[in-house]
Amino acid sequence: MKELLATVKENRQIAEGIMAITLALPESVGKIKGGQFANLSVGDSAFPLKRPLGVCSVNGNDVTLCYQLKGDGTRKIAQAEAGDKLSVLLPLGNGFDLGNAKKVAVIGGGVGVFPLAAVVEEYAGKVQFYSYIGFRGRQYACLTEVFGNVGELTVVTDDGSLGAKGNAVQAFADDLGKISPDLIISCGPPVMLRALRSALKDNGVTAKCLVSLEERMGCGIGACLVCACKKSDGRNARVCKDGPVFDINEVEL
Amino acid sequence: MKLSVEICGVKFGNPVIAASGTCGFGREYNELYDISTVGGVSTKGLTLEPRSGNPVPRIAEGKSVILNAVGLQNPGVEEFIKNDLAWLRSKTRVVANVAGRTLEDYEGICARLDGLVDMIELNISCPNVRAGGMALGIKPENVEEVTRLCKGALAKTPLVVKLSPNVESIAVNAQAAEKGGADCISLINTLTGMVIDIERRRPVLANNTGGVSGAGIMPVALRMVYEAAHAVSIPVIGMGGITCGKDVVAFMMAGARAVQVGTANFTDAYAIPRIVRETEEWLSAHGISDVNEIVNTLRLN
Ligand SMILES: Cc1cc2nc3c(=O)[nH]c(=O)nc-3n(C[C@H](O)[C@H](O)[C@H](O)COP(=O)(O)OP(=O)(O)OC[C@H]3O[C@@H](n4cnc5c(N)ncnc54)[C@H](O)[C@@H]3O)c2cc1C
Ligand SMILES: Cc1cc2nc3c(=O)[nH]c(=O)nc-3n(C[C@H](O)[C@H](O)[C@H](O)COP(=O)(O)O)c2cc1C
Ligand code: FES
Repeated sequence: MKELLATVKENRQIAEGIMAITLALPESVGKIKGGQFANLSVGDSAFPLKRPLGVCSVNGNDVTLCYQLKGDGTRKIAQAEAGDKLSVLLPLGNGFDLGNAKKVAVIGGGVGVFPLAAVVEEYAGKVQFYSYIGFRGRQYACLTEVFGNVGELTVVTDDGSLGAKGNAVQAFADDLGKISPDLIISCGPPVMLRALRSALKDNGVTAKCLVSLEERMGCGIGACLVCACKKSDGRNARVCKDGPVFDINEVEL
Repeated sequence: MKLSVEICGVKFGNPVIAASGTCGFGREYNELYDISTVGGVSTKGLTLEPRSGNPVPRIAEGKSVILNAVGLQNPGVEEFIKNDLAWLRSKTRVVANVAGRTLEDYEGICARLDGLVDMIELNISCPNVRAGGMALGIKPENVEEVTRLCKGALAKTPLVVKLSPNVESIAVNAQAAEKGGADCISLINTLTGMVIDIERRRPVLANNTGGVSGAGIMPVALRMVYEAAHAVSIPVIGMGGITCGKDVVAFMMAGARAVQVGTANFTDAYAIPRIVRETEEWLSAHGISDVNEIVNTLRLN
């Protein structure tokens, strides 16, 4: 884990309202696991907080983060041009650990697909992936080829403009009989994660399920206790340090 | 270059202390840099019992400021003593920041930490039963009362009273702390504020309001440090919005003998070592060989 002044190599739109920024790090930060994230500076002192963004792909000392234009901070980051410098703190959090799993179901919705893309790339060839990826519509779809390249891919959209009309959790549940995964990994909005938990329960799935959570952050390294989530035993955990990846049964969603 | 400062007999290697609530008990930042390079660490606010804090979101951003409403989540003073204190003391000076719901809580936690830490810093900005759910730090008579009680519980460790800026007169409250027996005062704690998500017509923070900190509050903090330092004869630790070495110089000129840095750690994880370096650079560029020489050298127009 280091904070480095990175050089922007490329910052381009990959879908409607979605950008991919590639940062050249001046030195190695060691291994970055899929599901770990970076805290990226907005590059303007009016924004004291860095933005937590999942690492989407790694190529030597180049790191790509994909981000949705959401508020003022991500809009400002979108203005960064090749050659600009931005401070970035990484890698943060625990990431997904697939252990000895051989058949892994991947369920992603919206911006949740970005950290999952890094996981499937990391384990490509070692694990059989079955990915269920949902977008609001065709114009928001991105990175589908990454999932298609490493296993079986089902894309769904809310409006049916790409793939079947529906959501990723439903598509996964429909396939359960066929794939019997030994691990399920997921990242997406809280409503999707709650639906996933119900689907697993309703279908009597006992395979382990790991989910990545989102929470607003201060330090990003576990010191300020701003990013609390509740564990099912009632204790607090820090999303930035103890997570962002948790067992779905271990946290309140 | 002499960067060390002495406050109430406690020697700090340099005048830059990590502010309470932003650096935990020092372990996480020690993964990024050697935490012994900071002058000291003011711990996350400790209470007698563990606390789980406020619901999330606990943080929001304004222009050049942040707001937090963590709500004193901490493992309780016993866990701190058992797991973190010896380690942190082996690295740097330890200022134990403490809080409570009742006056007895404050007295109890001071008694428990007496002789174990380098300084005790009272956070009197949190709601207290004694003040009817208001903070003890608001009314001067409450400030004096809690200070006197805590001082009575301390035989060995110097007492720092951390002043709230959300008050009628900072000078009067500083004097109240001094009258109650404080060995030192620190200021400012956060200003109370709100950020609204206009699309949802709701405050961003689950707690609705939160404490404002960061670069945008520095002019207010500096004015208050100046006023407080000129109202009392005990030493003052200044903070509020420090992001660079020049800011440290300004606080020390206004009368602070040391400073604390909080929000800047979030913007730049290496903020404190950088700020120490920049302070030293400013001093050498100005031919000053001892940081203590700049304290209270402000001349008013
Ligand atoms: C571990 C983690 C990984 C993430 N990965 C991605 C990713 O790969 N791609 C992506 O598009 N988004 C991701 N997010 C969400 C992303 O952090 C927010 O969309 C972003 O911070 C919004 O910033 P803003 O300035 O545009 O919005 P504003 O609403 O203006 O931001 C105000 C403040 O709130 C914080 N904030 C707002 N929404 C969120 C949120 N959902 N989660 C955390 N903080 C938030 C901001 O960081 C900032 O401090 C991730 C969040 C977390 C916690
Ligand atoms: C996330 C966060 C948590 C804080 N927790 C405490 C606390 O527990 N006790 C306390 O006295 N002050 C607490 N503070 C206030 C800071 O110690 C400091 O007084 C304030 O942030 C102003 O300094 P800054 O502008 O450098 O951050 C907290 C501040 C932040 C940002
Ligand atoms: S953001 Fe500071 S503890 Fe997680």
